[in-house]
Amino acid sequence: MKELRLILFAVLLAFAAVACSCSSDRSEDEGSVLHRGIGTEPESLDPQKARTTQAGDVLRDIGEGLVGYSATGELVPAAAEEWTVSDDGRTYTFSLRPEARWSNGDPVVAGDFVFAWRRLVDPKTGAFYAQFLADVANAEQIIEGEEPPHALGVEAVDDRTLVMRLERPAPYILSLLTYPSTFPVHPGSVAQHGDSFARAGNLLSNGAYVLEQWTPGSALSIRRNEHYWNNGETAIDTVKYHVIVQNTAEVNRYRAGELHITSNVPPDMFQQLKQQYPDELRIAPTLGVYFYGFNLSKPPFKDNPGLRQALSMAIDRDMLAEKIVGRGELAAYSWVPPYVQNYEPPVFSFATLTQEQRNTIARRLFAEAGYGPDNPLRFELRYNTNDTNRRIAVAIQSMWREVLDVETTLVNEEFQVLIANVRAAEITQVFRSSWIGDYDDANTFLSILQSGASSNSPGYASDKFDSLMKQAAEQPDLERRRWFLEEAEREMLADHPVIPLYFWVSKHLVSQEVSGWGDNVLDYHYSQHLSLSATR
Amino acid sequence: MSLLEVDNVSIRYGDNTVVDDVSFSIDRGESVGLVGESGSGKSQTALSILGLLSRQARFSGRIRFDDVELDKATEEQLNRVRARRIGMVFQDPMQALNPYLRVGRQLRAVLRCHELATAAECDARVMEMLERVGLPDAQRQFRAYPHQLSGGMRQRVMLASALIAGPDLLIADEPTTALDVTVQAQILELLEEIRDDTALLLITHDLGIVAGHCERMLVLESGRLVESGPTTAVFAAPQHAHTRALLAAVPRIDRVDIPPPATGQSILGVDGASVSYRERGKQRLQAVKGVNMSLRCGETIAVVGESGSGKSSLVRAMLGLVPMESGRVVYAGTPLEGPVERRAREHRRDLQLVFQDPASALNPQMRVRNIVSEPLLVHEPGLSARARLKRVNAALEQVGLADEYLLRYPHELSGGQAQRVAIARALILGPKVLFCDEAVAALDVSVRQQVLDLLQRVQADTGLSIIFISHDLAVVRSISHRVLVLYMGRLLEVADNAALFSHPRHPYTSALIDAVPVPDPVVAPKKAPLRGEVPSLLNPPPGCVFHPRCEHAREVCSATLPPMRDIAGTRVACHRADEIDLSR
Amino acid sequence: MLRYTLLRILGAIPTLLLVIAIAFMMVHAAPGGPFDDDRALPPAIEENIKRYYHLDEPLPKQFLRYLSGLVRGDLGPSYVHVDYTVNELIADAFPRSLKIGALAMALALLAGLGAGTLAALRHDSWLDRVVMAISMTGISIPVFVFAPILVLLFAVKLNWLPAGWTSSSGVSRYLLPVVTLALPQIAYIARLTRASMIDVLQRDFIRTARAQGLGTMNVVWLHALKPAMLPVLSYMGPAIAAILTGSIVVEQIFGIGGLGHFFVNGALNRDYTVVLGIVVFYAALIVFLNLVVDILYGAIDPRVRYR
Repeated sequence: MKELRLILFAVLLAFAAVACSCSSDRSEDEGSVLHRGIGTEPESLDPQKARTTQAGDVLRDIGEGLVGYSATGELVPAAAEEWTVSDDGRTYTFSLRPEARWSNGDPVVAGDFVFAWRRLVDPKTGAFYAQFLADVANAEQIIEGEEPPHALGVEAVDDRTLVMRLERPAPYILSLLTYPSTFPVHPGSVAQHGDSFARAGNLLSNGAYVLEQWTPGSALSIRRNEHYWNNGETAIDTVKYHVIVQNTAEVNRYRAGELHITSNVPPDMFQQLKQQYPDELRIAPTLGVYFYGFNLSKPPFKDNPGLRQALSMAIDRDMLAEKIVGRGELAAYSWVPPYVQNYEPPVFSFATLTQEQRNTIARRLFAEAGYGPDNPLRFELRYNTNDTNRRIAVAIQSMWREVLDVETTLVNEEFQVLIANVRAAEITQVFRSSWIGDYDDANTFLSILQSGASSNSPGYASDKFDSLMKQAAEQPDLERRRWFLEEAEREMLADHPVIPLYFWVSKHLVSQEVSGWGDNVLDYHYSQHLSLSATR
Repeated sequence: MSLLEVDNVSIRYGDNTVVDDVSFSIDRGESVGLVGESGSGKSQTALSILGLLSRQARFSGRIRFDDVELDKATEEQLNRVRARRIGMVFQDPMQALNPYLRVGRQLRAVLRCHELATAAECDARVMEMLERVGLPDAQRQFRAYPHQLSGGMRQRVMLASALIAGPDLLIADEPTTALDVTVQAQILELLEEIRDDTALLLITHDLGIVAGHCERMLVLESGRLVESGPTTAVFAAPQHAHTRALLAAVPRIDRVDIPPPATGQSILGVDGASVSYRERGKQRLQAVKGVNMSLRCGETIAVVGESGSGKSSLVRAMLGLVPMESGRVVYAGTPLEGPVERRAREHRRDLQLVFQDPASALNPQMRVRNIVSEPLLVHEPGLSARARLKRVNAALEQVGLADEYLLRYPHELSGGQAQRVAIARALILGPKVLFCDEAVAALDVSVRQQVLDLLQRVQADTGLSIIFISHDLAVVRSISHRVLVLYMGRLLEVADNAALFSHPRHPYTSALIDAVPVPDPVVAPKKAPLRGEVPSLLNPPPGCVFHPRCEHAREVCSATLPPMRDIAGTRVACHRADEIDLSR
Repeated sequence: MLRYTLLRILGAIPTLLLVIAIAFMMVHAAPGGPFDDDRALPPAIEENIKRYYHLDEPLPKQFLRYLSGLVRGDLGPSYVHVDYTVNELIADAFPRSLKIGALAMALALLAGLGAGTLAALRHDSWLDRVVMAISMTGISIPVFVFAPILVLLFAVKLNWLPAGWTSSSGVSRYLLPVVTLALPQIAYIARLTRASMIDVLQRDFIRTARAQGLGTMNVVWLHALKPAMLPVLSYMGPAIAAILTGSIVVEQIFGIGGLGHFFVNGALNRDYTVVLGIVVFYAALIVFLNLVVDILYGAIDPRVRYR
């Protein structure tokens, strides 16, 4: 009797202790707090080491590069006040803002950028996006390990002036400089904290907010950076990013009023949410393409453009985009999305035909390739496990069967496994993939199909394409460059190394309390542009 | 007005009526015995008084206790009656006490739940009660768990728990059946002492106990009350046939035809047998030490002893079921060595064993036919199925079971029938020596006699030699030629049947005989002949193992081991055997 | 007792070693690595990273390196969460998982024992059937089905409780995760208790207790509960393991950054050190808790104690 009473008492005590235990997750609730869902957790807030879009979202709030974007997606000066470009387009001179400060009050100097960029290309750092500075003089050699990092073509003439020299004119380089990989870091902080400088309490910020607290796996919160040069324009005091991996869980939190902004919208709830929250559901085209790639190193797709074209034509993209995916995506008849700035992509020759007509031609091409009832075509279609992917694969499988009588075996694999297989290019035949553009320029899509590019998943190698791309890279004049790029794409499309299916859209639920939200193709939403109408 | 009145009580389970229209009453302070064989409904009647029947029971009738109508009482009211006004003691204290709780706790709970003592006084009162029931070291036993106590001590604890709240009526359901006979005597004596003016309803199958301790008696047969009246009257002039049958079947030590001593050669000899057990990391336990014995052809030797005497260990060692530490067993001239698996086939065939509980000795999934023929499959595999069947039939005939039993399963047999099947199985190979380990202990009195008769018949027909283990002296008296008395693994006395009972030479033997309740109400029950309990086998007393409890002990008894001597044909191990006279 | 405990702990070491070895092999056998992504790394950088993390060494050498770090208590750096070491991640995540797990276990025991006892006392009545039916659904319906339902009901519709862990800092955020985690265990423990209690209630000493007029509540509390709990206690070992694994789903649904979350994400991202670190941790935990269970068994059943 006594023992059991003791146990009960102990249990009650435990409950009480837990209840009263002030968890370390409490943030300062003074001022306005914006709750954003971030989806998967940023793996690192070290600007040079981070590689996910989620990390980029947070980094854009707590850091600032030479240039940035406005709420409507226009390139604007950020840490740099102004800049000049040489006539050959290969030398840029940046003047930094004198009032730019780190969160500890230190001024932001050109040397901080130099330090960061050298760090980016230094092989020892192991940065994923070292390639971003590939156009800077000596960058590639440094990455290969042939030159030391301080050979990089960037120099701090004085504290306020930064000079950047390029290997070739790269008109898009400014949009690259909005990317967090090129953000500066405080050299003293890195020297002091070493590998753990990117943590709450250590991380110095030159952006609108400072990292206040980070509980791995749960949430991180950022607080207004009083030293930010534009702090007066920042409306929201604290932003809390919640790590919620499951889309449906995130939507539930939103509906319960716990989130202002979600990072995504689950596909199967789309219609329902469209009806329930028509003004809060924000869909906008974004720089991404969903495609199927061919393994060009092995039969049956090696050296067989006619077959590839047949397969590409037999797909009813409109139906796919509207009915199967159905969230406002745009069917893809080109590789580069049509809303990229300063670019009008060429489209497939069959873009204007009806699907019936396409099917007829497809059949003819198919027969010409030597396939038919006595020589049936069988291959595997691989995709990573995901509901949408499966639905699309099943739909396309039936389209191919109906139109061309092709037997497609669907193989679904875990993401990592698929990646490994695609890179090995041994067993893959047709595989699902996607590519997200890093900056608002056609080059970000076209460059990966150059022969030898590390992300060239089909293994496309066309001398003509490569040569056109090279020529484009050497053009300082934007119009002429554009012509070369469009030619390159036209050339590539005719080869059908890939089957682009549709272009991505960004999907968010944004509460009506939030204002300042601007839809843009890069899907960048800086917290400093947002404000809350009511304090929660 | 009587204290308890039971009127027309009937208890049914489905179609089965276990108690049929029973009526009786008990006055204050009276002691009443409720007698019957197994299945007669005695326990059910008792349980119904306290409302402890299982949910499937259908009860009808009326039970009045003092001012409470028990049959109509709510659970609340019943709880106020239980323990406080009616206490109950059950048969097997090992099962009836909670093995997970300390003894003191369990008793304390009774007091506290009935709010008879404050927390402060509680322990003192419990301790007091434990001392009253004769526990030697109440402090220690208060904190002990039931499995740490001996059987006798546990039953004392049970008594304590039943009487601690001071009830007016004590119901005791077979309170001593699971105990050794000397301990039984102590407990019965204790019961008399301690109950003061509490009425007693004593349920038992042992007419000796009823004769000695109950003023009135009730006889149940198949749920019906067939006889009731003062004990002396019923014994003297039983009215009902069943009562007469019961009385006739009671084995008595004093008036019985005993078999004459056997002659013939020795067929089995044991020389200095010792058996000990040792668990890993624990002390060695000496179960048997230095036992000599020889068995003649056609003879029945009874091995008598209480718990811890080593009788089962001795028999198992002889059969090769446990290793013998030292000594030898010689059968028909050849020594029997090694575990039973390695012995010669003839040896295994010639020595057979019958156990106490036929229900667990027979495979419940085998039919009688298969059970009895199993030994043939091992020892005479060449037999055809038909030949086997013939042998099975012969064996069953030998034990008095008809053909119809061939296809039955053990659960379809009564206790007596099952034991006969076990005996048939043992006899089918025509063994020369049959070991019976308490073979009739689990049987009803009337059935018991039949089985004993059967054994004697087989012995007469085939010259079978029998080693018969028993704690029941009355049974021993009726079938054995010679008797071995064991105590704590030592052989104390070996004598002819007649000599042993008329003139025992060892004080222990004498005490054993005195402890058996005499089924004659005219004869006053003797005082419990032995105090205390069998000491722990891990720590045997020096010298003569019996000396701490012996009223004839002298200094020499604690100093040296008594040698085995022969006195007038009886072998006895006692220093003072020639000085003391235990004849009766 | 002390000797017994020490022997058990020593005996657990080979088991742990085996677990680590198997986990190590499995983790490295999965295709793909921690640095694989849609976007491929430049080869020079990839080489460099691999060298830095010793991923270019032969597997046995990597294993020995890992073990030597383990002996020093160093579980290595995380390959994905590059700003943290595995020790730090576990030290941060474990107390959270522990609190929720322990609360869930306590709730499961209390509710399970209570419901099972109730069902046993009234067995074959309608109450018994209802309790058993509810427990059956608790066992059959997977966590990831009824957890979102609970969230929809209590958080979205009724707004009584937060839908996510990070949305509040008080007691209320424990409620849904703890209940979700506990529900299948409550069901299981209720069934176990019921069967065991029915069995115990048939025993002779219960009849004695009833004959002593103790009344049902006292009989159950004083006499029946301890022995009836023994099978439940034996179940505790696997139950704890189940809570640890069940926490994975719960953590995903409620956004709790606990061990389960890091375990799954680590596996998916091929973050070898995180996965191995958590495996080692879980294994040691389970071994330890099983030992505690055994000791508790002895506390309840005195006959086991005096071995």
